[in-house]
Amino acid sequence: MSDAQQGLDKAIRVMKIKVALSEQEELDRELSVLLKWLEPMLTVDTAGTEQVLTSHDALNVVREDHARQGDLAELQEAAPDFAGGFYLVPPIIE
Amino acid sequence: MELRKISIRQAAEAVSCGDISAHQLIEETLKNCSVLNEGLNIFTHLAGIDALEQAKAVDRKIEKGERLPLAGLPVAVKDDICYGVLPTSFGSPAFKEFFSPYTATAVERLMDAGAIVIGKTNLDDMSLGSSTVTSPIGPTANPWDTERTAGSAGAAAVATGLCMLALESDSGGALRQGASHCGVIGLRPTTGRISRYGLNASSSSFGQIGITAISGENIISAMEVLSGFDSRDASTAICKEKPVGQDIVPETRELIIGYPAAAFDHLVPDLREVFEQARELYTELGFQFVDLELALLPEALQAYYVIALAESSSNHSRFDGVRFGAAEEAGDLEELYCESRGTILGREARRRSIFGTLLLSKGNYDLYYRQALKVWNLVRREFTDALTKCDLLMLPAVNKLPRLCSEEAGFPDHWSDDIFCAPVSLSGMPSLSLPAGQLGGLPVGMQLVGRPFSEEILAAACDRMVREIKLFPHGNS
Repeated sequence: MSDAQQGLDKAIRVMKIKVALSEQEELDRELSVLLKWLEPMLTVDTAGTEQVLTSHDALNVVREDHARQGDLAELQEAAPDFAGGFYLVPPIIE
Repeated sequence: MELRKISIRQAAEAVSCGDISAHQLIEETLKNCSVLNEGLNIFTHLAGIDALEQAKAVDRKIEKGERLPLAGLPVAVKDDICYGVLPTSFGSPAFKEFFSPYTATAVERLMDAGAIVIGKTNLDDMSLGSSTVTSPIGPTANPWDTERTAGSAGAAAVATGLCMLALESDSGGALRQGASHCGVIGLRPTTGRISRYGLNASSSSFGQIGITAISGENIISAMEVLSGFDSRDASTAICKEKPVGQDIVPETRELIIGYPAAAFDHLVPDLREVFEQARELYTELGFQFVDLELALLPEALQAYYVIALAESSSNHSRFDGVRFGAAEEAGDLEELYCESRGTILGREARRRSIFGTLLLSKGNYDLYYRQALKVWNLVRREFTDALTKCDLLMLPAVNKLPRLCSEEAGFPDHWSDDIFCAPVSLSGMPSLSLPAGQLGGLPVGMQLVGRPFSEEILAAACDRMVREIKLFPHGNS
């Protein structure tokens, strides 16, 4: 098994997706095509270029963080329901 | 009421004045939807009684004297945007009966303005594509040629006059390419101008809600309602201080359009000629053109896909059959995950999730993912620099005519369809797709790309171009 095939096999396991053998063979072929297709991007000169994570430079406006003594009773009162030291929330799974 | 021939303002005025009630308009629209949907496969769900109830509520508000800018107007919503009243399938059979517990901010804003949601529109598997050929209910046919795909079902709904607005998502260009294929106008706004709360975006960085309509004027009418900060989406822009409609509409004759000639070399000669003719016509109209270069388009497309694949693999992880999606029969938890995810995710979603994971793995992360993030930076700079030399950029919206409905999504050919749209998504700039001409009786669209928050300029230029060259869009069904 080649490195690429091993990588593909691991990615399928990590993603926990059942894939038929025929599809896995097809994915293997497609992976070679994909890596070839991406080659031009690898040749772009990015020396000295910072990576970005958004398409604009906007920043979140955040307030300064101040530690203060909280009042547990006040928090409990604000919750819809509270019992036995737990905040009660609606069930996620019916 | 012929929705393709009047503006949103005129239609809303007709409903507000009582020329036609919202109920009558929606009743008529739903009848047309039933007929056309059989042939075109536009809707995953039609609203029916719910839409009529909404319409009655709008009529009651009007009777009480309330002024609603979109009074009674039918809108379609793509099926990856949450709307609590109808199922939201995300293009997966596993979610065909899923009702979202909340409604997207954009949908809420349209409804608060009096619009009526008439149905949810068709989409690719997990909204991954720009043709609808991977949809579990089959592709949406193009109103201009039903053998071909519409690209986006919302565009088909607008082109056939079934709705005045379609709310759609756009990551790599589905909205813009659909508008091109159906001969209508599609806006991908500046990133953050319309809230994404309630959009099931496979790509967090590039998924954006946009609008499809019949004119730039209608796009701006919708933007007045839709744009603005949303406390439920921290990525929405906070800088807007006035409604978009109050902005000064520019004198479009003075606009300078950047023309990256080399980009058009990616097209077959017939298609390139359509854009060259369009450029000549715009020059006659008084638009000035300046030649410039966008050298990174192919590499931008590749960077887009590396990032989008990585984000798909992360975002699709939650569809595990336990928290989201139906669980399959299984002997143990591991098997349940694998079986369920194999069913929930279609072929395209599985491909992207697996390849995305692979590109994020050790050894590939630096080589592909980090490189893509750096190329993203270079692409942003390239577009920003280009827009210092001109007011707008002209780019094709598509690299080919719409695909045949019977054609399978080839790999990676169908990713290459995004070559002109995905780079713009990386830039975060607003982009409006409008008809530029026809080829073989089918509409061909181009993009106008503007500086951030310049949607009004795009719309004004669009209406002038489309009106003057007698290419006002229509469907032929």
